[in-house]
Amino acid sequence: MYKYIWLVPLLPLIGAAINGLLGRKLRFSETVIGGIAVGSVALSFLISVAAVVSYGLGGGHAHWPTPYLTSQDGFSFSWIPGGAISVNNGASYALLNIEWSYQLDPLSAIFMLIVTGVGLCIFIFATGYMHGETGFYRFFAYMGLFMFAMLVLVMGSNFLMMFVGWEGVGLCSYLLIGYYFDREEAANASRKAFITNRIGDFGFALAIFGIIATFGSAQYGDVFNLAKGYPIETLGHWGVMSWIALGLFIGACGKSAQLPLHVWLPDAMAGPTPVSALIHAATMVTAGLYMVTRTNVIFQHSQTMLLVVALVGTATAIFAAIIGITQNDIKKVLAYSTVSQLGFMFMACGVGAFAIAIFHVMTHAFFKALMFLGAGSVIHGMHHEQDMRRMGGLKKYMPYTYWTFFAGWLAICGIIPFSGFWSKDEILWKAASTTYVPLGWLVWLVGTIAATCTAFYMTRLMAMTFWGRERFLEKPETHDIHGGGHDHAAHVPHESPPSMWVPLVVLAVLATIGGFVGIGPAFQAVTGVEHPGGKLNIVNWLNPIIWNPETGEFNVPHEGEHGSVISHTAPVAESHGSSSWFNLAHAVEGVTHSHLLTEWLFIVISLVVAGIGIGFGVLFYVKNPSLPDIWAQRLRPLYQASYNKFWVDEFYGWAVTRRTMDAARAVFAFDSRLVDGIVNGLATLSRGLSRVVGAIDKYFVDGIVNTIAAFIKRLMSPLFRAAQTGFTQNYALMMVLGLMIAVVLFFARDIF
Amino acid sequence: MLNSFIPILALFQAAEGGRWAQTWQAASHPDLSKFLVIGALLFIIGVAGVLTRRNIIVIFMSIELILNAANLNFIAFSRYLTSIGNVNAVAGQIFAVFVIVVAAAEAAIGLGIVIALYRNKETIWVDEIDLLKW
Repeated sequence: MYKYIWLVPLLPLIGAAINGLLGRKLRFSETVIGGIAVGSVALSFLISVAAVVSYGLGGGHAHWPTPYLTSQDGFSFSWIPGGAISVNNGASYALLNIEWSYQLDPLSAIFMLIVTGVGLCIFIFATGYMHGETGFYRFFAYMGLFMFAMLVLVMGSNFLMMFVGWEGVGLCSYLLIGYYFDREEAANASRKAFITNRIGDFGFALAIFGIIATFGSAQYGDVFNLAKGYPIETLGHWGVMSWIALGLFIGACGKSAQLPLHVWLPDAMAGPTPVSALIHAATMVTAGLYMVTRTNVIFQHSQTMLLVVALVGTATAIFAAIIGITQNDIKKVLAYSTVSQLGFMFMACGVGAFAIAIFHVMTHAFFKALMFLGAGSVIHGMHHEQDMRRMGGLKKYMPYTYWTFFAGWLAICGIIPFSGFWSKDEILWKAASTTYVPLGWLVWLVGTIAATCTAFYMTRLMAMTFWGRERFLEKPETHDIHGGGHDHAAHVPHESPPSMWVPLVVLAVLATIGGFVGIGPAFQAVTGVEHPGGKLNIVNWLNPIIWNPETGEFNVPHEGEHGSVISHTAPVAESHGSSSWFNLAHAVEGVTHSHLLTEWLFIVISLVVAGIGIGFGVLFYVKNPSLPDIWAQRLRPLYQASYNKFWVDEFYGWAVTRRTMDAARAVFAFDSRLVDGIVNGLATLSRGLSRVVGAIDKYFVDGIVNTIAAFIKRLMSPLFRAAQTGFTQNYALMMVLGLMIAVVLFFARDIF
Repeated sequence: MLNSFIPILALFQAAEGGRWAQTWQAASHPDLSKFLVIGALLFIIGVAGVLTRRNIIVIFMSIELILNAANLNFIAFSRYLTSIGNVNAVAGQIFAVFVIVVAAAEAAIGLGIVIALYRNKETIWVDEIDLLKW
């Protein structure tokens, strides 16, 4: 089945092409457009499932655990057949030959399933949500194109294909954020997203150049096999691996909205809500995680970069969580929540728990897509009202949306047994127990605080949207757009159609049970093994693509030995890193004298902080709604900073946009004054010169020519005029005479 | 026609082998040069006519003489070449036919022009048609 994986990206592309090229011309109805889009994605999803099942589980593990399996015998061709290139300063030469081939390995399998599966739910939702939009065909053409690009990104077998997909999703993101291009806000947001991503892409491109220059190949298999032989670069040592990793991480920061390139993601909410769910929550923004996990060999070779990744992720997590507390736009809250959760994922990567990061990508895709779609449903039901201050009490009006959202809320807060608990708790535990980087305790501490904030702002969102007073019934003081003439009946929210709540239910189920594929070692007492579920456990599933610094090899289990895996975090690797780093988990273990007890302690702590966050949320927004204002007054500077998003946009506006504009103005002035001055001066000069030359030509040269001509005319004309008698026979005579002369001359040869 | 005179001419030949005999000899054995001489004469007459006559009709007729001089040469050379064994020398006769056709067409057009000219100028004297003069 894996031979047909090339169809997975192709089908959405074909659907997009049909919708985009013919949709307008042939005036397809919404049913046809939606059918083509949903059908192509559904087919892709089915093929993905079949391929992954046959690859990972079926057929007696025929292809397991070979991590790099390309569809050589399927759709694959030589894309860039390059010549010999110089590698390592000309010391050796390599043939650069880049193939367009897809690969199916544990990592791409997970992403294929997320992209096509969650994508399918969102596509179905979008057919309901986008009903009646004028650009219906355009929306689904862009969405299909996005699916293609995203699948190329995660299924490509080399860095250049990843880059093609990377840029493709960036383009589609731009197009879809700017879907309502007639709104200035959306147009600006799309430009902002595109430009901010350029900075990241710049780093990514440099990293790819570095990879090709260092390893002489862009194919994952070749690169990683060479990379694992390199020495590990210790903290503060900037070798080639660190530089490559830095470039890659800059790329990841741009795409996955990490500090300081996070500014585009909240603004990207100007796009339609299904776009926010698909691109800006579930799939595209996790491309950075995909890339970091894919290149985990390179990252693990640089302790510096691991620490940078961990700290950037941690900072982003707390930063975005604090901002999320004070936002009033329901989509903005979710956007900052996404940034924060992405921070958690990078946190996991930074502490060396790549599999857990991907686990959180997966659970986050479920519950955040669910919450975005839920928010979309709310916005749809509220007649395009996004401000939570005008909502409240929607539980009664939108039961399906409410109960599915409820599952998502518990998942993101980290309540056992919802999916978010398993992944977030594992991240925090890995942070506390990491031996990969120093400062693990700080990562854990800040991450825990961020988790508390997460629980708090999500409870706030629930309370303001679904519980409490029905504020939409109140007459708003500043309801300038709709005016007072509108009757209130039009503003009473309604439940969304089945095409919208069915995907919500599917995602809610996934958000509830999705975490069971990653039950951690803490539950060893219950499950019996460290990572229960055999290969179905995500840690075991992903192991073949994770490089193990202890053995210097990938964690490829031997044939038939699936399930028994070398855990690379629990037994402390003395070879990796200095034991002098303060390790929180070890310190606690020193007190409790039990590994299991320590782990359970951390689980209890994360559950407690989630409970605290929810408790405060309920206290502030349900029990005593006057408290938020009081505390906003008391913590005025912090509140202002959070409400204004720490003035990052203003700072960029001042530091980057204004400077750029000033520089542009200066350059423009230089151009318009000096350069144009020179050009215009030269033009004036040559015009004057041409006048002089023209005069010389007209009076002097023409004069000479005319004089000579007149002289010749006077001299020669009588002579030639006499020949023109006008008598035919004179001319005939001349012809005869000429003929005679010619004959004479012809025979003259013989005579003389 | 010529053959009916042969017996009479034979008498002359028999009577004296002098100048008449030579003439007879030449007449009964026409060779190429004689045709060429006649052709040249026709040509010269034609040219003279073209150059001297004022009546445009006569000039036309003179032109016909020139053309027929050329025709005569074609035929003569054709026959001559056939007689010396070149069996493919029929081209000259074909050319003559072509010339005749072209001459006929030319005469038709030329006479048409003459009529048009006469209607406008009421003259066919070429020295009175001198519009090309400066």
